[in-house]
Amino acid sequence: MIARRQILTAGAAGAAGTAALALGACSGGSGSSDPTDTEANAGKTVTLWIMQGTNAKTDEYVAALKEAFTAKTGATLDVQVQPWDGAHDKFVTAMSGGTGPDVAEVGTTWTPEFADAGGLSDLSAEIKEAGLQDGLIKGLVEAGTLDGKMYGMPWYAGVRSILADSAILDAAGVNSQPQSWDELLAMITTIKQAKPDLLPFPIAGASLFSMLPFVWGAGGKIATEEGGTWKAAIAEAPAVEGLTWYTDLALKHDSSSAAANTWKETDSLKSFQQGQTAMFITGSWVPATIKADDPELYERLVAFTIPAKNSALAPSFLGGSHLCRFEDSEEPELAFELIKLMATGDLATRWATETNFFPGEQKAFDEVVSQGDELTKVFAQQMSEGGTTVPVTPAWGKIEGKKTMSTLTSSILGGTPAADAAKTAATEMDQLFSA
Amino acid sequence: MSTAVPPSLGQGARGGGAPRPRRTVPAGRRLRRAGAPWLLLAPALIVLTVLLLLPLLRVLNLSLQDYELKNLIRGESNYVGLDNYVHVLSDPFLWTTVLPNTVGFAIVCVVLTMVVGTAVAVFLNALSPLWRGVCTTAIMVAWAVPALTGTYVFVWLFDPLNGLVASALGSAGVLEPGSFNWFTSRLAFYAIATINVVYHGFPFVAVTVLAGLMTVPRELYEAAEMDGAGPWRRFVSVTVPALRPIFAVCIILSTIWDFKVFTQIYLMPGGDGANRSVMNLGVWSYTESFSQGEYGMGSTIAVLLTLVLLLISVVYIRFLLKEDEL
Repeated sequence: MIARRQILTAGAAGAAGTAALALGACSGGSGSSDPTDTEANAGKTVTLWIMQGTNAKTDEYVAALKEAFTAKTGATLDVQVQPWDGAHDKFVTAMSGGTGPDVAEVGTTWTPEFADAGGLSDLSAEIKEAGLQDGLIKGLVEAGTLDGKMYGMPWYAGVRSILADSAILDAAGVNSQPQSWDELLAMITTIKQAKPDLLPFPIAGASLFSMLPFVWGAGGKIATEEGGTWKAAIAEAPAVEGLTWYTDLALKHDSSSAAANTWKETDSLKSFQQGQTAMFITGSWVPATIKADDPELYERLVAFTIPAKNSALAPSFLGGSHLCRFEDSEEPELAFELIKLMATGDLATRWATETNFFPGEQKAFDEVVSQGDELTKVFAQQMSEGGTTVPVTPAWGKIEGKKTMSTLTSSILGGTPAADAAKTAATEMDQLFSA
Repeated sequence: MSTAVPPSLGQGARGGGAPRPRRTVPAGRRLRRAGAPWLLLAPALIVLTVLLLLPLLRVLNLSLQDYELKNLIRGESNYVGLDNYVHVLSDPFLWTTVLPNTVGFAIVCVVLTMVVGTAVAVFLNALSPLWRGVCTTAIMVAWAVPALTGTYVFVWLFDPLNGLVASALGSAGVLEPGSFNWFTSRLAFYAIATINVVYHGFPFVAVTVLAGLMTVPRELYEAAEMDGAGPWRRFVSVTVPALRPIFAVCIILSTIWDFKVFTQIYLMPGGDGANRSVMNLGVWSYTESFSQGEYGMGSTIAVLLTLVLLLISVVYIRFLLKEDEL
């Protein structure tokens, strides 16, 4: 395995342009360089890992995918559905033991970490060759690119916006898109006056991605890169302004409850479904969940983009999955063929429609949006105009693992001044960036 | 014939009777005889080596390295000597938060588990066999509930907004539901965790102590009663000495369990590392190794946790069983 890696590296370094071919020649045991040569590929098997629970109709999708893959390449596709619980450990084990699949769905924030560790292979040359690089959603490309090399092919993604119950909003008379923070605050105070028993807009302390749009919306950043080194920016004035404004909703404006200080996004959703919350920040995949649980509530849903300080739309985190090829794959060409098949065209649109996510290919994205309802359009706008990502560095995995950002929010909600809490978080981040 | 002596008894006359004349045994047979116990122990030793000793050595080995995800995937080692230990031991977070949380929580839990467990055992011992069976089954159910499920139940009970406890306090007019989040307060957080752990841990103690209680001869109590000893005196002077080995085992096991509590803390809101003030050694080790991929640092914390446990066990065993035989 190690010997093969060395050959791989040598091949890639020697002839960057024909890297794909060189890789194939070196690594494939019975390597054919033509993935569409159906006769030569008969009898070969490509393994794919996808995550459980994203698509309620996974079985039908997988059957269609297998059929399409065999029709195109002649090879057999083996699909293994993996649970999210412990997925990170499973990937790590598979990479270190060489027991991984050829292609896997990898969460976008994990891609840089795994790529840096040497578990994923560089797809840049092949994506370029296939002419795909310009038609992909930018934020997802960014999230999968480390040191100028693309390790993850955008597959699907979601974004967070504000979802609300129009019955409550209409009763308070504030059912329109907030154009700035001030307008959002006005909505919140009006709802609180009209319905004192409700939580107008809970501040979920353990939800990192609900907080970030306010940091970004004030012009702040989590961290900045200069010459390959990252430096925390969370303690700088704009970021602190965003943090302060967001947490003040709970601390000063009675928008939330102390109970929400430890909430995750799922807790906000539960409270919303129980009719205790008027509006909350949630993902674009959630309306479908609500539709399945409570069709009546679904009919009343209305979505707003998360406002920035002085505009109607703040940047919001674009979370989703890449399709990645494992470095140990025996059939790199077939693996890439599979990635293309899944991430572009009909199967990409189908996956997105069935899962209520957005596809990572621009063309498929436009198609999904044009077929979608009003809610979809709001989320799509937030995604295409504001979709952004967290720092693309292997250190981010550690920052997320250390819960630096959640600690930051919950300590401000617990009474620590925002500037002090941000300084602590910045110190911690800088330590991880420099480690 | 010397071969008549089983190898376990060996040559040395245990009873200290009249010294037997020394016999010369051929070297080969002596070797075989010495090897026999090892042969019999081999299956157990092999299993222990594979399941316990090797992982333990691996953790020790990892704790001396700066070992991250890339080292794991590329199979490279990266020794840094005792750097990890220096780093952990010089971290004020260990001394002000993690260690006090771990030790304080363990002490409170062990004491409470033992007290509740013993009280329940004494109570069960006084019941008729039928009711004893019913009650034992009932408490065993509490023991059989997985830690994960049990923890979620307690989190729900104590939900600050809609939980049973908040509602009860709300309707009693003590506390407005949602106005106070006990998961964010270190003391309240651990109070809830304590209830959870004690609830989950006392059945084992109760059943074990009950088994011991049933072996204490009735005559001892009758004799004590004749001498005018009250119930408390009978408990302290008859029950406790008779059950000392059982108490020792229960205390050591509870200490080990309560020291390395992980699930019950990690699954509570904020317990996964977001609320630093409630972190304990187990959660700290986990977030370092698995959430951040710092396997070396995580192993170091795990080694320290093991050492603390070893130390406690040794002290306990010596203290509780000094005069008696184990």
